[in-house]
Amino acid sequence: MGRGPSELQAQVLAADLCTACGACLGHCPYLKTLGERVAFIHPCPRDEGRCFEVCPRASLDPESLDRQVLGAPRRHPVLGGHDGLYFARALDADVRARGQYGGVATALTLFALESGLAGAALVTGGTPTRQPHAVVARDRDAVLAAAGTKYSACPTLEPLAGLLREGGEALAVVGRPCQVAAARKVEAHEKNGRLAALIGIFCFWALAPAFYRFLAGRPDLQRAIKMDLPKDGDMAFVVNGRAASVPLDEIRPLIRAACQTCFDPTAEWADVSVGSTEYDPAWNTLVVRTARGRDLVERAGAAGALEVRPYPPERIPILEEAVQRKKLRVLDALESGRPEAAYLRIPAAQRDAVRAHGRA
Amino acid sequence: MSLHALSTDAPGEVVILSGNEAIARGGLEAGLGYAAAYPGSPSSEVLGSLAPLARDGGFYAEWSTNEKVAIEGAAAASFAGVRAMTVMKADGLNVALDPLTSLAYSGTKGGLVVVVCDDPGAHSSTKEEDTRYLARACHLPLLEPATVEEAKEMTRWAFDLSEAVGLPVFLRSVTRIAHARGSVVLGALRPPPRTARYDLKDRFITLSVFHQVLHQRIAQARARFEQAPFNRCEGPADASRLVIASGPSFTYAREAVRLLGAGDEVRVLKLGTTWPLPEDLLGAQLRGARQVLFLEEIEPFLETEVKSYWAQHAAALGPMTFLGKASGHVAGSGDPGVGELTPEIALRAVGALAGREVALRSEAFARKVEQVKLGELAPRALAFCPGCPHRASFWAIKAALELDGRQGVVLGDIGCYTLGAMQTGYFTLKTVHAMGSGVGLASGFGKLDLLGFTQPVVAVIGDSTFYHAVVPALVNARYNDSPVLVVVLDNATTAMTGHQPHPGTGRHAMGDLAPALPIEAIARGLGLPTEVQDPLQVDETVESVYRLLRTDGAKLLILRSPCVLLPSVKRLRRAAVDTTRCIGEACGCGRFCNRAFSCPALVWDRALERARVDEVLCSGCGVCIDLCPREAIAFQELA
Ligand SMILES: Cc1cc2nc3c(=O)[nH]c(=O)nc-3n(C[C@H](O)[C@H](O)[C@H](O)COP(=O)(O)OP(=O)(O)OC[C@H]3O[C@@H](n4cnc5c(N)ncnc54)[C@H](O)[C@@H]3O)c2cc1C
Ligand SMILES: Cc1ncc(C[n+]2csc(CCOP(=O)(O)OP(=O)(O)O)c2C)c(N)n1
Ligand code: SF4
Ligand code: SF4
Ligand code: SF4
Repeated sequence: MGRGPSELQAQVLAADLCTACGACLGHCPYLKTLGERVAFIHPCPRDEGRCFEVCPRASLDPESLDRQVLGAPRRHPVLGGHDGLYFARALDADVRARGQYGGVATALTLFALESGLAGAALVTGGTPTRQPHAVVARDRDAVLAAAGTKYSACPTLEPLAGLLREGGEALAVVGRPCQVAAARKVEAHEKNGRLAALIGIFCFWALAPAFYRFLAGRPDLQRAIKMDLPKDGDMAFVVNGRAASVPLDEIRPLIRAACQTCFDPTAEWADVSVGSTEYDPAWNTLVVRTARGRDLVERAGAAGALEVRPYPPERIPILEEAVQRKKLRVLDALESGRPEAAYLRIPAAQRDAVRAHGRA
Repeated sequence: MSLHALSTDAPGEVVILSGNEAIARGGLEAGLGYAAAYPGSPSSEVLGSLAPLARDGGFYAEWSTNEKVAIEGAAAASFAGVRAMTVMKADGLNVALDPLTSLAYSGTKGGLVVVVCDDPGAHSSTKEEDTRYLARACHLPLLEPATVEEAKEMTRWAFDLSEAVGLPVFLRSVTRIAHARGSVVLGALRPPPRTARYDLKDRFITLSVFHQVLHQRIAQARARFEQAPFNRCEGPADASRLVIASGPSFTYAREAVRLLGAGDEVRVLKLGTTWPLPEDLLGAQLRGARQVLFLEEIEPFLETEVKSYWAQHAAALGPMTFLGKASGHVAGSGDPGVGELTPEIALRAVGALAGREVALRSEAFARKVEQVKLGELAPRALAFCPGCPHRASFWAIKAALELDGRQGVVLGDIGCYTLGAMQTGYFTLKTVHAMGSGVGLASGFGKLDLLGFTQPVVAVIGDSTFYHAVVPALVNARYNDSPVLVVVLDNATTAMTGHQPHPGTGRHAMGDLAPALPIEAIARGLGLPTEVQDPLQVDETVESVYRLLRTDGAKLLILRSPCVLLPSVKRLRRAAVDTTRCIGEACGCGRFCNRAFSCPALVWDRALERARVDEVLCSGCGVCIDLCPREAIAFQELA
């Protein structure tokens, strides 16, 4: 079986399994993106290609990613490898004001830039009600401007190939779990260590571009500056300082198809992963996964960018259960032979571990 | 071309004219007062040569918006007693057919000649139509010149006939007349009289009661055809083998008889008045004939008409064998009734009639042909010119549709951009029909949502086409709220047929300034959201098409960039490949510029293994500069 553009087209793009991570873009003139769709605008003549190599939906092999990132088999079947689970929040007032919750992702990104760890950061700009776009941020203003969650699948990694090709600066990347996995696949080819920090954000699903068509019919929501997805609640908007909401049932049909078979809601191969606490909107869940991640969090903490406290033990099962539920749904899809899940290469032992978790 | 020869008043002088010029000259010698045409190969040069002479010649000439209004304008002149001519290609006749069939009923006054140029072999057409069928359907007399000289004479004569019988008269030319050159003996020029006036006693009404009148008028035309100077017979009067030929086929027939040395056994009847048939003359010529061969283009029209005459008079005429398209003795390039009739085909057919073997080629010549290694010539596909804005437009439309991902359907239309259906336009167009049809089709597709249709629909048209026939279809789409995207490739001219002005160009056929009617003003007047974009800015164009595909209702996008062959378009710079940045096959782009985008000016330098810009061909559009993934192509200013 080939590993090139035709396979990417057949197995991922035509099958509507693309997550719009953006990793395949920028390598060639054939693959382009608009409106969160990725497509070949002309048939590429090559048999093999980087596009297929880096795509997290062409194939995803958790074992080999664990080995690449952690140097060891995974230690937690549901949350992925990690050596620390915390509540955290930014200390900078601007960051807290602009951040989705505690602003940890933004604070860590700023620290990476300001400490010289990275020369540029890939983040996702825009407002929550218009299609977002990739941003290559090199200063505080640009990072701050890109704070806040946009609930669709922006191909943020689009500039990555170009950045790695030209110039020599180290890069920080903030991305959804699919983007973190893709960035790791890129890293496997770019052995020069220029991906200095991978900051993952939790993601249980993203919305399809049709969401913006939906919003076009809702002028009352057009100028929302913030959107949120409270656990088990309706989609919440903040418009002109006032709260508004849309029932989840109206939103659910707009979920991006690819997200239904995503096995990784917490960015298991990031250096650190950041999510909500589903408890206190001023704080984030922070998962520290790698030595590099540990170093970043400690230095940012020491520099006064971040405040970290232990994860309340009684809330850990709640988090694990949410993640496990999603994984079990996808495992079912995989095992009933659904082609949308066939990209996952999950060994039997790992499947069993996901199932067994918490049943002791 | 010979404007001077066309306009000199030197009766008896022999000049060389093209067939189209000869037709124009025939009009001038007939006192033509009004000429109106819509361009179409191979007819375009008739009005093209009349227009520059109009002011000094004291007559009026216009490029009309389409063939229907062209004939209506000419009919107005006729009603005012002025001699008028309208010119079109076969496809144009279809557009003009409704008024023309009506004029047959109402009758006309000043001589009205309808020149239609057919294109056997479809050298520059999408269809291969035979106008003679439509002349019969209209019940209007038709003349067919066999030579350039005769084209002039017939045109003049046609005006007299038109006035005598009170009907429009067809002159049916073909490519080998229109674009051939031949010697023509000039007659006297006749300036049009200044007496245009509508006599209020005249009425030109189309009513079914005039059907009978029309038949009477056709009978009068038939009577005049019996005496027409364009029908004659050559060869022994008692020969039982007869060729009946019309148009250039007559000259092939005559040549074939000579080459075969069959002059003693074969008679050739040349018919210049092909509908209605001059039956008395025909009957006289058929008498004594036992084998009859038909040579004509395109369809077996005379063949069927004559057979039908024979069936009616079989008892008097006796048994006869007919050789022609039906019998398989005369075949075009494909089936009978397809393709041009060539001298070779005529030679073979006359050989069969005369029972003689023919050597189509001398041995020496045949050997020479063998030596030319035709198979080694590189095949060349039809392609847009280097720097043609249509290429950039199709690239962008195709990209936007791929990105849109809903299997959008692109409907084509008629113009240079019809090539969008081929490789050079990335096979983007899925349908091609008549001028304006793309938008009508789009309007229809757009309403199939009720029946489960979910694909977006795009119609691609040209600027001249917009005025010609798109406006009613656009009104339809707007009125019925069909969600179509109409993309106008506005290259500021009617490019395909030779850069004739149109209502958007701000110029008339006679060269003076005209009020320009911008496409966007018309579209916005219809309430259509309308945007204008330069197609050479590819990313922006992709974005515009993509965005508009996702908006409701009918809308219009004008992609505006002039045809690179327009004299007003100056070449100020060209592209050049930086051979240090282009890394050839190592790039992985798969020769994107040269193979995928494939502007003919982007060649592959086999020695360097790099892309190269052909400095002679490049027009400096700059599109490849934006598309190259390594930014290896840059502008170079021309001194
Ligand atoms: C589509 C989507 C769904 C999510 N669903 C959940 C969920 O179910 N549960 C949960 O706990 N958390 C979810 N999150 C994560 C959550 O919304 C916050 O982004 C995360 O907790 C970080 O919070 P913060 O306060 O540090 O944010 P901030 O400091 O504001 O930083 C957010 C960072 O994410 C980037 N970003 C914003 N939108 C996107 C995007 N679409 N794609 C990639 N990067 C983006 C921003 O550029 C910024 O760098 C989701 C995020 C996304 C994008
Ligand atoms: C009814 C009819 N009339 C005339 C023609 C001849 N014809 C073919 S293409 C064309 C011009 C189209 O011009 P435009 O739409 O501006 O496109 P361009 O060739 O400039 O790309 C004409 C007149 C025809 N095919 N059909
Ligand atoms: S998932 Fe990412 S890498 Fe795969 S096709 Fe989509 S954008 Fe490209
Ligand atoms: S749900 Fe998974 S696939 Fe979808 S955007 Fe989030 S991380 Fe990517
Ligand atoms: S600039 Fe490039 S695309 Fe345009 S004509 Fe020249 S070689 Fe062709």
